[in-house]
Amino acid sequence: MTEYEGIVKMLRFFVQTRNFSYVDRIGNALNPEPVEVALLEALRAFRSIRESASVDENGGRYIEKDGNKILLPGIPSGEEVMGFLKDVRSDTGVAKLVATLALAYPSKKENSGGDV
Amino acid sequence: MFLSVGVRFEANVEALNMVETAGNYGKHRRVPYLVEEDGRLKTVYVPAMSGESLAHAYQEHLVNEALSADLPVCDDCWRMEFYKSMNKVHLKKKVDPIPDDPKKIEEAIVKACVVEDVGGFLYAEKPPVRRSSAFQVSYALPVKSVALFATSEPQLHARHAQMDASSKKGNASEQMIYYVETGTALYGFTFNLDLDAVGVSAITSKPILDENEIKKRREASLKALFRMLSSGQFGAKLSRFFPVGGITELVVSVTEHPFVVTSPIYDDYLEKTQRRLKVLESFGEEYLFTAATGEKVPEEALKEAIDYLHEKGAF
Repeated sequence: MTEYEGIVKMLRFFVQTRNFSYVDRIGNALNPEPVEVALLEALRAFRSIRESASVDENGGRYIEKDGNKILLPGIPSGEEVMGFLKDVRSDTGVAKLVATLALAYPSKKENSGGDV
Repeated sequence: MFLSVGVRFEANVEALNMVETAGNYGKHRRVPYLVEEDGRLKTVYVPAMSGESLAHAYQEHLVNEALSADLPVCDDCWRMEFYKSMNKVHLKKKVDPIPDDPKKIEEAIVKACVVEDVGGFLYAEKPPVRRSSAFQVSYALPVKSVALFATSEPQLHARHAQMDASSKKGNASEQMIYYVETGTALYGFTFNLDLDAVGVSAITSKPILDENEIKKRREASLKALFRMLSSGQFGAKLSRFFPVGGITELVVSVTEHPFVVTSPIYDDYLEKTQRRLKVLESFGEEYLFTAATGEKVPEEALKEAIDYLHEKGAF
């Protein structure tokens, strides 16, 4: 599932901020349309948050929530999004897997929250 | 007696039910909707209003009607904060010490507050006590046949700040742009009110209040619905996004036992409701059916239902 790492990281960021709306809608979708809409809304929200985020000494973007510093990953690439939506159209199980991964702990410590 | 109302209203450029904000973008509530196109079903996302939002508005009107009729409303509901005796802190304002018997807890709450009597509550402590709402309300959703024409469109707005060079910090902008997603659709929703549940225990099914008090509360419940629909005071952002439009159609049925009008999201809801009521009539049940679809205005149809209930001795 490394080809959707950017989407997983973005959804994981929302999970860290206790906004489960997008991951739930993507993970529980019964057909591709709700996945497309939820991903569009997630990307829209993520861009807004990212643009107004603070930048630390390493150039990483972060927000603070309840006293915790939460690092922001990069925005998923167009190719990744296209590939994901294409795969979801043929198998909605892909969306469930991506959402499940977003809810799980990352396999390695992501100090930077992904690329900056 | 059971009252059921189907409402169709046209709302252009409304922001009646906003959900989260992401940065400078305020989103309208949207729901997936099944529509038929060229003989095939497809999912579209349409603007919607939650039943919770409509129920909140109704309960606000209920507070006002109850207070004008000299009926009891608890302090929380009086402030339009509908905590509904959710824990000891809130319940203690009504009864102290708190009884151990769920029946006594329910009795104390119902006696102290019309909103919790009509709108139900959940006391989530030991013992937990739950009372179902006597009124039910659906989501407001676009009418099926025109759902594909519904839109949700972000509108650009700006806020300005007056800043001279000395007060300006960094690259702070003198204006901030923000977007409000507005919905436009012909909406339909259903509202039901079980008048037999007002003032009656949900645990024992026996009256908690005397008959006169129950009648006054029923009347206040109906007037609250009348006021809500007549004034258009429901939903959010009314101060700058008061919807352009209004109620286009409204049907009301009053039956002896629960009966719900066919949902106004279907074009044939009026005929279907009438046909369904005819079947009830064949069982010997009396009913009233009235509709504001042509010459009659919604207020006249609602008044007709109120008069009918008055004649029947509901209040």
